[in-house]
Amino acid sequence: MVVAAIALAGCGPLSRAELTRGVETLSAVAAEAQLVARGVASDRTRATYTRVQARTLAEDAAHEAEKLADASVDGEIARQRDQAVALAMRLDDTIGELETFPGSERTGSKVDDDLGAIADDIDKLTQRLTQGP
Amino acid sequence: MKAILRVALGLIAAIGGFVDIGDLVFNTQAGALFGYELLWAVPIGVVGIAVYAEMSGRVAAVTKRPVFDVIRMRMGLSTGLIVLVASLFVNLLTVAAEIGGVAILLQLFFDAPFMLFALVGALGLIVIIWITPFEGIERLFGYLGLILFVFVAAALHEHPDWHAVGGGFVPNGKSSTLYWYFAVGLIAAALMPYEVYFYSSGAVEEGWKPSDLLVNRLNAVIGYGIGGLLSIGLMMASAQLFEPAGVEPDHLGTVPLLAQLPYGETGLVLALLGMLFAIGGAAVDASFAAAYSIAQFAGWEWGKYRRASGAPRFTLAWLLFFALGLAVLMTGIDPLDLTEYSVVLSVVALPLTYVPVLLIARDRTFMGEYANGPVARVLGWVYLVVLCVVAVAAIPLLLATNAGGG
Repeated sequence: MVVAAIALAGCGPLSRAELTRGVETLSAVAAEAQLVARGVASDRTRATYTRVQARTLAEDAAHEAEKLADASVDGEIARQRDQAVALAMRLDDTIGELETFPGSERTGSKVDDDLGAIADDIDKLTQRLTQGP
Repeated sequence: MKAILRVALGLIAAIGGFVDIGDLVFNTQAGALFGYELLWAVPIGVVGIAVYAEMSGRVAAVTKRPVFDVIRMRMGLSTGLIVLVASLFVNLLTVAAEIGGVAILLQLFFDAPFMLFALVGALGLIVIIWITPFEGIERLFGYLGLILFVFVAAALHEHPDWHAVGGGFVPNGKSSTLYWYFAVGLIAAALMPYEVYFYSSGAVEEGWKPSDLLVNRLNAVIGYGIGGLLSIGLMMASAQLFEPAGVEPDHLGTVPLLAQLPYGETGLVLALLGMLFAIGGAAVDASFAAAYSIAQFAGWEWGKYRRASGAPRFTLAWLLFFALGLAVLMTGIDPLDLTEYSVVLSVVALPLTYVPVLLIARDRTFMGEYANGPVARVLGWVYLVVLCVVAVAAIPLLLATNAGGG
């Protein structure tokens, strides 16, 4: 019964609340990646740790992008869903730079700035979603 | 002083309950999501496990019977079998999760494929267990797990608001199901049955006698007290560093950031090392607890103090649990999901584990002058009620919150 309920729960179109939860996940990923990037920028971390953790966070962003892109949506939130997918893909790409250059202070600083800009866009999208149509 | 230095058994057992892979992430999530508001759940767990560990250690010292022996004797064969099956299932999930945790930490140090490090980690632990006597295993993982105090230092470094910290030790009656999921999870994790299986069997391994009851009490109070302190340190550091930043830690690799942010690379390395020893120790706890349970239930020779040839089926059992743990990991299940489910499913075995301990520890025909005094008696019954509430609430909360996913 539980399995059936879980299966059924995943069948309907993406709701506004589910989309908001997805965007909040992106916000948390961006926040964590910024902390990792600041460690790189100030040369206060280890390259191996940065590479592995950046890979994990980039995978989270990519997974969220795929999940949102695969979901069926009603017209009303389709545009916001597309914006969320685009933000998730930007997040994936930006965090990926840390994975490629885990020991570069310049890259750490740039990624920190870029993630800040993405986080601002995520906040704006969250506001639009919580304010309703 | 000499007695205080003999607290390694309590430390390694407490590490399994308070800072294993699941607890490290769970405590950090609790701090990131709810700030200091869940601190109160930690002392409830600490007192509960200290009370029952002290009882089980006392029973072992006086009667030479570890917990599973007591369960079978007091509850009978069929109920004992139910507890055995439930606890072995939970132990298997736990062993798999801890090996996975060791693999993740090795990855964070050296960056190579997860399954390779799972194999290396499991083999490394097997070699350490094989060549090291029981006391050596306790000291290695128990004392080196104390490197985790770097998280307590990180919490203090961030100048906590002590008024808010104090307020966190009072339950605030929130109506959020997620809040109560975390509260119940923190208490259930502290009371995981495999801790007392390991602790009481360890008491027999160390040959405790009634003259060692002070050592038993110190192990229970200091060992679990330190476990609780580490748990509080993690939650406080997370409340100070992750909550304001909006981080929601879902990965083991996020936890060391709490030490890296204030102390840089040194903090990061110390955090990774402490976590490696703590999670490795928890893997030993869980695999041994499984082997102890089977051997004591079946009446086999058991104990690390015997050579492998002196207790071959016991030795085979803990080796088998490492192999099965690896097999579970090979299915691709996330180690953190495993530990989360193992904590919640362990509630099935909670009352069935602790009721017989309480009944034997209060029985004067068995324990003579060492039977429970008034404090242990009252606390034992109070915590039995707490255990029942936790057992009833855990699974509905797991389902209602999508295992904490909201």
